[in-house]
Amino acid sequence: MEFGWSEEETAYRRRVREVLARELPEDWESIATQGPGSDAQTDFSKSFCKALAKEGLLIPHWPEAYGGEGCSAWHHFVLGEELWAVGEPRGPQYMNVNWVGPVLMRYGDAAQKARHLPRVRSGDAIWCQGFSEPSAGSDLAALRTQALPVEGGYRVTGSKVWTSYASRADFCVVLARTSPDGRAGIVILMTDMSSPGVQVQRIPALVGEGDLHEVFFDDVFVPTADRLGAEGQAWEIINFALQNERVGIPRYALSRRMLDRAVARLKADGRFDDPVIQDGAGRALALCEAARLLVYKVIDQRAKNAPPDAFGSLARWAVVRADNGVSDFLTEYAPDGLLNADPMQRAHHQRAISAGVASGAAEIQLNLAARRFLDLPSENQRGL
Amino acid sequence: MDFDLSEGQATILAGLDQLLASVEREPPKAPVFTAYSVELDRLLAQAGYLDIVREDPSALLEGAMIVERLARLARSVEAAASILVGAALGVEAERRPIALASALEAPARFLPMARTLIVAQGEDALIVDVEPSLVEPLETLFAYPYGRLRDPPAAPTRRVAGAGDLLRRRWRLALAAEAAGLMQSALDTVLDHVKTRLAFGRPLGAFQSIQHRLTMGAETVQSTRWLALRAAWSDSEVDVATAAAFAQDRIPALTYDLHQFCGAMGLTLEFPLHHWTYRLRALLGELGGSSGQARAAARAAWAA
Repeated sequence: MEFGWSEEETAYRRRVREVLARELPEDWESIATQGPGSDAQTDFSKSFCKALAKEGLLIPHWPEAYGGEGCSAWHHFVLGEELWAVGEPRGPQYMNVNWVGPVLMRYGDAAQKARHLPRVRSGDAIWCQGFSEPSAGSDLAALRTQALPVEGGYRVTGSKVWTSYASRADFCVVLARTSPDGRAGIVILMTDMSSPGVQVQRIPALVGEGDLHEVFFDDVFVPTADRLGAEGQAWEIINFALQNERVGIPRYALSRRMLDRAVARLKADGRFDDPVIQDGAGRALALCEAARLLVYKVIDQRAKNAPPDAFGSLARWAVVRADNGVSDFLTEYAPDGLLNADPMQRAHHQRAISAGVASGAAEIQLNLAARRFLDLPSENQRGL
Repeated sequence: MDFDLSEGQATILAGLDQLLASVEREPPKAPVFTAYSVELDRLLAQAGYLDIVREDPSALLEGAMIVERLARLARSVEAAASILVGAALGVEAERRPIALASALEAPARFLPMARTLIVAQGEDALIVDVEPSLVEPLETLFAYPYGRLRDPPAAPTRRVAGAGDLLRRRWRLALAAEAAGLMQSALDTVLDHVKTRLAFGRPLGAFQSIQHRLTMGAETVQSTRWLALRAAWSDSEVDVATAAAFAQDRIPALTYDLHQFCGAMGLTLEFPLHHWTYRLRALLGELGGSSGQARAAARAAWAA
């Protein structure tokens, strides 16, 4: 057991920072404050991801056979930390490289890979995730969008909600139901967002422009060729995707950076000598570092090719507490940051308030960890 | 970065587990507030576990692992100060158990059986040679033996100039590592209880309200453990203060929940939970409490 970075990992982090220093424009933070789903960040992501691709930093974690470098889970995570800490300049495309691509590699057929992977690895495609519905959020299996099997494909009717990036997306990973048969009756359709019958409406939200949408599917035809995996395999694929998603974002990295920036302002104002402020800052710091270590433990297991386990659910909970703990500290002792003294603080706040909701309510992780990490009985159990 | 034990670390802990298998591990049957294992103290000293950092100052992480593992036992034993503090402050190996205090006149854990008391006094550390006749044992709910010097001004002390920060850093590390082990056993005890105790025809652990809080407790235990171990690995002011701050910050909510889920049984001395929770609650008040550690972490992180 040891907690250090290798020389190679340190050099890799340094290189990522150098690339960011070179590629991020002077007005990057004003772009970043508009949120990863905003028009400004979506547009920027297209040029930025191409630059990252040229540097070999867009998909370094992908296998060489798919154009990546097969880099270690640690290198991938160092990259993720550095990008999230500056406000995630990949915008919506972080999702493509972290899970859409890997899911395609694992479950896609040759034609699907040939169609989609080149655009993902060149930083050209925007995807969105059509999972949540008005009556199915964290309870995904309750989804109602219908995929009626027809000659050559499916006719999709229904609606999705909270869909990030949808107004700019080229494709949507749509979960739809071919039968009322629970999880087995779900298919995954990689739906072209320009298909007739797809309508997108933005939802004005606290979390920023472009992050929340409603997407309506009115008898949308999706060819069988765009179904990912077999019918009945969707739940397995979703779990694979969400395992990558749940601890895929090193949120504590931005939280720690915002804490550092707020402390710098408090020191400049002569307020950091206040023991109450030091107390709050120290507690927020502890939350960040706890989240960092639990996530690192998950990455360590990933680096050793161990199968994901319920420890990831504990890590997600720690991450949510860290994001919110830092946000609460900043709001209480550095509210000027939300009044334009540090526009990135607003961006952090918006990410923090969605941390426990995005990619499934954090309380679902508590359910999972209760059963799989603590081995507690099912809620339905009667007697011993 | 590697979260798994190295071969050497695994060997150390396997040897320790073997030694622990030879001592009484069940909580005391008698209804006692405090149980100190004199036998384990002797065996640990004899086997050299308490000298691991004295013999190899770079073995702080392994020392913290031993502290964490020993804290899981229902009976307390003074190991943390001996392993993590004593050698660093120049205390001879045989002058243990070691008690730590923030003031010469303050009550201290393990003082009734201690041979050395180390006191944090500003920039310096005071080292007091202790014998039982100098100590007044104290009755307490805390599940550690406590005592205080009968006549502090008359105590034979020597000053180690400039050692105050080192003492506080290692004390914080000891606190965090010990808290991690205590939390683990306290949680395990309550998990056993809620899996077998029925209410409304269901195990208590089947209720979501209890599941969620126990899972949050598990996050607390894991976070405390990994923060403590990283702090031992780096021995840096900021990591150590952060680990101790986190541990103390979480003790009140964790111990409340763990007792709550055991109902009135958790208030009895027959049920062993207090052997861990009342050591945790004792640790809560050390070194100025969680605020003391949080402020120390903030000062170390941002060089106030």
